[in-house]
Amino acid sequence: MSDFECRLKKFRQLKDLTQEQLAQQVGVRRETIMRLEKAQYNPSLKLAIDISRAVDAPIEEIFIFP
Amino acid sequence: MKTNKTKRTFFLGLICILLVAASSWYAVTYNDSRLVAPTDLSEYSFRMQDLPMLLSSTLLLAYFLYLVVLLIRAVIAGKRREAFTHTTRQVDPRFGLFGFFGFFGFLGFWTYSIDRTIFPFGFFIFFGFFGFFYEAKLSNTFMDERYRENRMKAHFTANRLSLAIIFLATLFLGQGRLMHNLEYTLIAYIIIVSLALALEMFLSEFLLYRYDHDEFSDESEE
Repeated sequence: MSDFECRLKKFRQLKDLTQEQLAQQVGVRRETIMRLEKAQYNPSLKLAIDISRAVDAPIEEIFIFP
Repeated sequence: MKTNKTKRTFFLGLICILLVAASSWYAVTYNDSRLVAPTDLSEYSFRMQDLPMLLSSTLLLAYFLYLVVLLIRAVIAGKRREAFTHTTRQVDPRFGLFGFFGFFGFLGFWTYSIDRTIFPFGFFIFFGFFGFFYEAKLSNTFMDERYRENRMKAHFTANRLSLAIIFLATLFLGQGRLMHNLEYTLIAYIIIVSLALALEMFLSEFLLYRYDHDEFSDESEE
């Protein structure tokens, strides 16, 4: 069970990026992006920052912890 | 390894084996089986007729050393490539077939009954080579942080299980009371440790594959 909510998919689509493109930008595999979007993987701080820069959105709006 | 190099290594090995076979034949036929039959080296004195056997044995030893050097170089090159490209090594799934050598471990029961030789029980460790089937599936995979986490988790679980088995085996068999026979205890210990190490080798690859692939069902782009 995920202990956080992830809104990455929404921000990625706003930037018109595919999972593959985003994965290449932040240096991970597409499966990792997919896992992130389903909140099944808790990313490192570095990856979270890279993603936030790639989709141009603040971390706290992408990953929401209760 | 390139095909030419593989062929060269194979033919070198073949030549060494043929030379040892020829010199063994010479020793058996013309030299009273010296250095072929078990020899007490403390009472050994050199004869010119021993030269073929000595040379071929030295050549065979040099060939084994060459193989060890090749293996070490391949491992170092693999590590360098891994660090540079951040992808997993390329593994041929056919390496997994070496796992069937594990069944040679059962030969130990036969050799023990013949002349009390117990080392074949160690062959059980080859069962771990079945892990290559799973490692091959992850060949050339880009190692991102999730992959590295999964690898650590898989290795940790496999190591912990293997260590627990070895610990329990040491605890119970270390008393040397299995059937009141110390040799049986040693055999049981070799079998259990070999199988535990094989389990560790297999499980770390199997779990890594499971963590990386099977935990999610839908891999489609959304």
